[in-house]
Amino acid sequence: MQVTGSLKVRSPRLMRGIDSLAEAATFVAPLLLLVAVWAIVVPLFQINPRIFPSLGAVGGAAIDSIRDGSLFAHIGASLLRVGLGTLIGIATAVPLGIAMGVSPTVAAFLTPLFRFFSVLAGIAWIPIATLWFGYGFGAIVFVIFNAVFFVVAYNTLLGVRMIPQTLRNAAASLGAGRRALLTEVLLPGALPNIVTGIRTGLGFAWRGLIAAEMIATNVGLGYMLFVARDFYRTEVIVFGMIVIGVLWLLIDRLLLVPLERATIERWGMVRRT
Amino acid sequence: MKTLSLRNLGKTYFDPYAGAHVTAVHDVSLDVEPGEFVSVVGPSGCGKTTILNMIAGFIPHSNGEILLDGKPVHGPGPERGVVFQSFALFPWKTVLDNVGFGPKMRGVPKAERDRIAREYLALAGLSHAANRYPAELSGGMQQRVGVVRALANNPDVLLMDEPFASVDAQTRMTLQEELTRIWQERKPTVIFITHDVPEAVFLANRVVVLSKGRVLEQIDVDLPRPRVWDELVKDDKFKQLSARVLQMVRTA
Repeated sequence: MQVTGSLKVRSPRLMRGIDSLAEAATFVAPLLLLVAVWAIVVPLFQINPRIFPSLGAVGGAAIDSIRDGSLFAHIGASLLRVGLGTLIGIATAVPLGIAMGVSPTVAAFLTPLFRFFSVLAGIAWIPIATLWFGYGFGAIVFVIFNAVFFVVAYNTLLGVRMIPQTLRNAAASLGAGRRALLTEVLLPGALPNIVTGIRTGLGFAWRGLIAAEMIATNVGLGYMLFVARDFYRTEVIVFGMIVIGVLWLLIDRLLLVPLERATIERWGMVRRT
Repeated sequence: MKTLSLRNLGKTYFDPYAGAHVTAVHDVSLDVEPGEFVSVVGPSGCGKTTILNMIAGFIPHSNGEILLDGKPVHGPGPERGVVFQSFALFPWKTVLDNVGFGPKMRGVPKAERDRIAREYLALAGLSHAANRYPAELSGGMQQRVGVVRALANNPDVLLMDEPFASVDAQTRMTLQEELTRIWQERKPTVIFITHDVPEAVFLANRVVVLSKGRVLEQIDVDLPRPRVWDELVKDDKFKQLSARVLQMVRTA
């Protein structure tokens, strides 16, 4: 029984530390393997750098763009557009989604419009957005907003509809009026779906952003990729793609996951994944 | 405290599956005095939950009147507290904030409603759970919260809809004993819906037996209090009353 003895000595905090390290390792391992394959395959088959860059060249591109500050200018511009477009999207979509969830008339009227526009959401709006807002900030923020808006509104509507009637009854029998019902029951009750909507919407927005930046601006990660293509700078393109992917993972891990843990997981409304 | 009166209460609704009008409640008249504990029993489909939902104001009634101290009631209101079979606690609120919800709706300041909530939690032996979320509690504990949440709002009538039907048998007996103790301390007016005959007799001053949407019989329960299962299971009067009610329900 010595094994049990030695396990007991370990503090819960240490065990949790080991758990999260193991979790991180299982997440990073496949990515490291991919990098290793890349490091071996490109020199082994002497792949043309115009087709795919070597690991070293991408590292060089990374250092260059950090040194001259262009990387941070691109990231800053992209994050600002995504952040602003997403915030406007959430701020308009949640009230509308709740209105649809509460009123069958509003829902019946808007549902066909939603069906139609959700297919078009995001990048299909780039051409007309540039006509409305010009090439630059406004057009891109509009496209992001557009990508986020429909997903969040639809998920909010679902969230409100899924709140059990007994919870509304309970609130009403405890004296809640219309306003309290909204803030105390409908909004928090729809939150699991709203968070799902924001997550999906941000994913759309992130893709929409890159596409819009390729067309409608002169700074940002999408622009960085697009310009590099003109000069056959595959190492810049691949580096930019890595930055886009890593940024998304960071947004998810540092923003969305903690938000879920602090709210809907704590409340037992979704299971921890 | 106010008297609750049902006068020729009826409910007819259209059943889209049957394609016909169905009468769930025919003609129910009932007076419940302040501080009285009334159990309503009957087989499933007898209309007992429909009656409760009408009193609570969750569904409109088709005929008759529901009067609280002589005034008709419309829609849900805080003077009629409800304890739900499914507990219906707000998952996003702590136990303390669930219990303080009614006072919050009345505009009671935070410090005062926390004090009220803690007082009621103590009444149900739940002081230690104040800062936990409902999902972290057992079913029995959740329903204790459900009961004191309704009580903390100081309703004129407490409406309980098979509140202990979804907890295990041992917990149910404990909850029944606790409810009788709390009732004796606070003397709220209670209408308790159940299909469990011993439960109905154990808790109530009066048992109303329903059948096919009508009041079949009303039986006074003059068993002494406090009521404890260990004693009542051996009590002849309790056994006789239960047997009598059970027979009515089965032939109803």
